[in-house]
Amino acid sequence: MNVWLFALRNAGRNRRRSLLAGGIISFGFAALALSGGFMAQTFDALRDGTIRGGVGHLQFTNPDAADDAAGLEALRHGLADASRAVTALRGDSQVVEVLERTEFFGLLTDGEVAIPFAGVGVDPEAERRTMDAPRLVTSGRWLEEGDGRDAHEVVLGSGLAGALGVSPGEVVTMMAMSVDGVLNAIDAEVVGIATLPVREMDDRYLATSLGAADTVLLAHGAVSKLVVLIADPSRVEAEALRLHDRLEREGIQTAVRTWPVLAVFYRQVRQLYLGMFGFLGLVLLLIVLLATANTMLMVTTERTREIGTLRALGARRGRIQRYFLAEGVTIGGLGCMAGAILALVLREILNRAEILLPPPPGVAHPVPLFIRFYPTAYALGAAIMILAVVLATWIPARRASRRPIIDSLAHV
Amino acid sequence: MSLRPPLLEGIGLTRTYTLGAVEVPALRGVDFALEAGEFVVLEGPSGSGKTTLLNLLGLLDSPDAGELRWEGRPLTTLDDDACADLRLELFGYVFQTYNLIAVLNATENVELPMLLRGIPARQRRSRSAALLAAVGLRDKIAIRPDLLSGGQRQRVAIARALANDAKVLLADEPTANLDRIAADEILDLLTALNRERGVACVVATHDPRVRVRARRVVALRDGLVEDGA
Repeated sequence: MNVWLFALRNAGRNRRRSLLAGGIISFGFAALALSGGFMAQTFDALRDGTIRGGVGHLQFTNPDAADDAAGLEALRHGLADASRAVTALRGDSQVVEVLERTEFFGLLTDGEVAIPFAGVGVDPEAERRTMDAPRLVTSGRWLEEGDGRDAHEVVLGSGLAGALGVSPGEVVTMMAMSVDGVLNAIDAEVVGIATLPVREMDDRYLATSLGAADTVLLAHGAVSKLVVLIADPSRVEAEALRLHDRLEREGIQTAVRTWPVLAVFYRQVRQLYLGMFGFLGLVLLLIVLLATANTMLMVTTERTREIGTLRALGARRGRIQRYFLAEGVTIGGLGCMAGAILALVLREILNRAEILLPPPPGVAHPVPLFIRFYPTAYALGAAIMILAVVLATWIPARRASRRPIIDSLAHV
Repeated sequence: MSLRPPLLEGIGLTRTYTLGAVEVPALRGVDFALEAGEFVVLEGPSGSGKTTLLNLLGLLDSPDAGELRWEGRPLTTLDDDACADLRLELFGYVFQTYNLIAVLNATENVELPMLLRGIPARQRRSRSAALLAAVGLRDKIAIRPDLLSGGQRQRVAIARALANDAKVLLADEPTANLDRIAADEILDLLTALNRERGVACVVATHDPRVRVRARRVVALRDGLVEDGA
């Protein structure tokens, strides 16, 4: 007869009450495990959306440009050795893709109205292979690839296109400050309209070829940055250092930043979700705490005479408390096991139901509900439930164990 | 005259209970001494202080005044854990309502004080089997209390009281809930244990049949030892 077997038998004494307490714990556990799995899945989707949305895993820039937080002067400190850096990076076995980017601002006009834009010059083919932007085109097509890769074409955000009143096939004039500070302009054909998930971006988005960007900015082959995708994203910090050193050994000075540093929106959403999850955990903790406290209070009150007997036989107060804590933990542990089974069954049902959810932050289209199996949420759920039970048990057990023995023995 | 102090001694034991606004004196300066191997009966009407004295002697309660000694060493200054350890080591208790643990069978109930004392499982098992055999329950070792008769439950309680080789067995109305035959059997058992194992017994009772088995009777009335007892 050990303390756990004793606890198990006592838990089985009043099955209905233990089942009720265990049931509350199992529902609390399942709620935490499922919401944790959903949250993890949302984080994954948001992370992938951020990386494939243009941030990539790593970004290499001119070291001076790295301090220009707004990026307004990116090309003033552009990467002049871009092609050498691209060749060096593409030669690395851990690099999946290298995308050249030229970011700039300017005015777009159809001859009547001029509207500010946030432009990006891209390699259309590499962009299509690895990034989401080409898939956001809802009207027309993406920028031309192959021989026409430097054509003077633009894809506009639907907000920007709507404000200008242009559609695919029309020609617009793109005006921007060149690297030397001279206002320059080129004509470009609108070939596609893209719908971006964030309204503010949609109202300003312009994608064009690297060649067109180079022409309007008079950049002479310089680009703002190199966006790099690597094979093992979990090693992003180590790869950043290694690739930076590799470029440095080849005489190319760069600054490198990783996606967790660059993805401010991702970090904010993650913090928001973690806050919500924490609040949910707190509410469930309180519900389970109150429900099990009531049960354990009844249990200790009913067994007052038994507590007196154990004390009379020579059990110290601490041991009495441990007996009841073991009983609480037993009910909590069994409740968590039932909760885990419940969570797994519900997860399977919900994942098969093909439920579409409204687009999460940063995503353009509805996403199917998918709840990932997230072991951390299960461990955290169990920890919160056991903590609630321990708290709920400890207080009445302590009170009962401190009651005078003769009062406990006389309890009816 | 022996120079050895008594096994258990109470000097000027006083205990008053507070019931609402009323203070009820249960013991009013009682002296009591118990020698090793004695069989003492505490008798007296309800409210005379028998159970209170038994509780104080067994460290289940603390006196408001007076002193308690074990072989001359004071016990009244001990803290709660030290009292618990002494209860485990020196005393065995038999209650009127048996107070067995409902979820444990006879063997496990007897093992409980040994478990509290940290005795290994094998030793616990063999000792509890021997004790249950000694109280005539060899064939009931795996039965839970709710399936035992009153007399059998009290036998389990006596076996439990002896589990840690108690020096003193304190019994509060051990026959009050038993029929005549069962009560006689329990008294036979207590007498035999006292005689054969040398366990000192203090029995608080109304039952005149217990009185005749005692070597010494202490009569209490209104919280005092009656003259001539």
